[in-house]
Amino acid sequence: MIKDTRRFEPFSENPISLIDDEGKWTGKFDLQLDDAALRDFYRSLIAARQLDERLILLQRSGKTSFAMQAAGHEGIQVAIAKAVKPGFDWLFPYYRDHGLALALGVPAVDIFAENLATRADPAKGRQMPNHPGSKPLNVFTVASPIAAHIPPATGAAISAKVQNTGQVVVASFGDGATSEGDWHAGVNFASAQGAPIVFVVENNRYAISVDLVNQTGSENMAIKAKAYGMPGYYVDGMDVLASYHVMLEAIEHARSGAGPVLVEATVYRYGPHSSADDDSIYRPKEEVEAWKRRDPILRLQKFLKNRGVWDEDWEEEVRQSVTDELAQALAAAEAAGPVPEVWMFGDVYEKQLWPQAEQQKYLEQELGL
Amino acid sequence: MANLNIVQAIARTLNEEMARDDKVVVLGEDVGKRGGVFLATEGLQQKYGPDRVIDTPLSEAAIIGAAVGMAAHGLRPVAEIQFADYVFPGFDQLVSQAAKLRYRSGAQFSAPMVVRMPSGGGVKGGHHHSQSPEAHFVHTAGLKVVNISTPYDLVGLLKTAIRDNDPVVFMEPKRLYRSVKGEVPDEEYTIPLGKAATRREGSDLTVIYYGTVAPEVLQAGDEMEKAGLSPEIIDLRSLMPWDKEAVLESVSKTGRVMIVADAPRHASFASEVAATIAEEILDELEAPPARVTGFDTPYPYAQDKLYLPSVTRILNAAKKLLDY
Repeated sequence: MIKDTRRFEPFSENPISLIDDEGKWTGKFDLQLDDAALRDFYRSLIAARQLDERLILLQRSGKTSFAMQAAGHEGIQVAIAKAVKPGFDWLFPYYRDHGLALALGVPAVDIFAENLATRADPAKGRQMPNHPGSKPLNVFTVASPIAAHIPPATGAAISAKVQNTGQVVVASFGDGATSEGDWHAGVNFASAQGAPIVFVVENNRYAISVDLVNQTGSENMAIKAKAYGMPGYYVDGMDVLASYHVMLEAIEHARSGAGPVLVEATVYRYGPHSSADDDSIYRPKEEVEAWKRRDPILRLQKFLKNRGVWDEDWEEEVRQSVTDELAQALAAAEAAGPVPEVWMFGDVYEKQLWPQAEQQKYLEQELGL
Repeated sequence: MANLNIVQAIARTLNEEMARDDKVVVLGEDVGKRGGVFLATEGLQQKYGPDRVIDTPLSEAAIIGAAVGMAAHGLRPVAEIQFADYVFPGFDQLVSQAAKLRYRSGAQFSAPMVVRMPSGGGVKGGHHHSQSPEAHFVHTAGLKVVNISTPYDLVGLLKTAIRDNDPVVFMEPKRLYRSVKGEVPDEEYTIPLGKAATRREGSDLTVIYYGTVAPEVLQAGDEMEKAGLSPEIIDLRSLMPWDKEAVLESVSKTGRVMIVADAPRHASFASEVAATIAEEILDELEAPPARVTGFDTPYPYAQDKLYLPSVTRILNAAKKLLDY
């Protein structure tokens, strides 16, 4: 039943790709997306990139303490957002997934407010930059410890299965995460339970400075799925259309009750790991430049151009409207003002316990509140 | 009224809670077909099926971590860790995920879950089947912590823990699992977190304890009474939150206090209680607060009984308090 509709082979030798570097369709099936949908993909890629640039600027201008960089990851991130049912399926992203959050529909003002820790932040100013979360969109609030969200993602998927909700969980993480015990624990349990979950590794080839050779002896990440008894798709994560179609297939597999899937999306992080990192120490500039030529935005742009649905005026229009939207969201997030000091003591428990109540009082006295 | 041991009380309580709320699920190693290595989940899988009583892979990180995700997604998981000593592979899930989910999400998400674990020594289990790691959990804001010593408290507090909207680490002294029996009412009742139980009222000194050491403390109380002393004996039951009010009230009355627990001494929960008393009511004290605890060694195998606070040690501490 699943085999009939399957377009892609798991465990392929090379990453699955549908658009080549010249923007030519190489798929063996006809693209079902109309022009409006394709333009929407393109706009989402632009928005993810601009958001990333804005967040880096906020750090450089001293408005935030930190920035994780995501440029180069947008293809798979936008693909995930477009392939799930927003607000129905659950997402367990990691700290480089702000583009995914935005493409899914998390309001930009929420994302900026989280980064700036203002009153408009759904997380009430408690999170470092680049750690979004959204209850309305079922985006499990990002935690920093690598792969610590994988067992909870599996738990949510088991819950969806037990309650027969029809929901799928998508958990995303970097290549380094696959070395953590928690990753194995979560992936293994999901497989044993046949839970409806898709694990997506955004493989950018570096865990800060540690390259793939030092990360794993496996020939790639997708092949790890074999040992867990699930399909492992190997896809070009900088090809948004390939990523989208592979995600659709993986999600369909999980939703049908056939169990979990692992997707390895090859991407490249153009910038350093974070604002506290210097990537020139561990990788040559030429390598970065070579990967940038495979840029997801550039490739979709060429594809749209070949199809006759792109011109410079439209490009300018899209970029400007995204810029304006983000500027408005940023202004609104900043205007909300800083979070009150005493919010530090809230939400430790559902109802405040006496230690927090006493300590809040102590701080209030110290601050003359 | 039924006369139950603690293991029977756990199985009965889980059964009642699963019948009451179909969101309650049990997960852990051997909890299904086997009914748990201590039989605390006996009969549950037969009754509720493998989707609600889940035999998990041998992975504490998976058990606790999955419970977090289940809880965030709407279930009320009760996870069993086979021995408290084995919680550490899942410790990161408790500390980084369960404890901080409500806080870090601004209360968008929460983890209403219980992690049950047999704890404490006195069973010839050596250092990897005897530990009382409650201090780690109490030290982690966002977790609630319970440590019971009677079947009655087990029922009332386990129900409260399952219905609570925060993650609760529920410690069960395995040494008392079958040795301590007690009357449990047939009708429904719960016990709030943070309320101590006064086991004996007295005026000469206060003995505060919880968990594994209950038999020694209660016996020492009898001995003190025979010797003409009047001890006030308080079982904390709940460690986060703990009943500071009851402790301070009792110690203000008696002026002398010891805290008895089998966990190692340094940075222990007993130390927190002692420090709080010293900080808040030093003027009421006739003697420095005493701690009768385990030693700062790994839990030994051959000297199993020597490690546990004994009746003699408790009586010696009482004498020291009174002679001060």
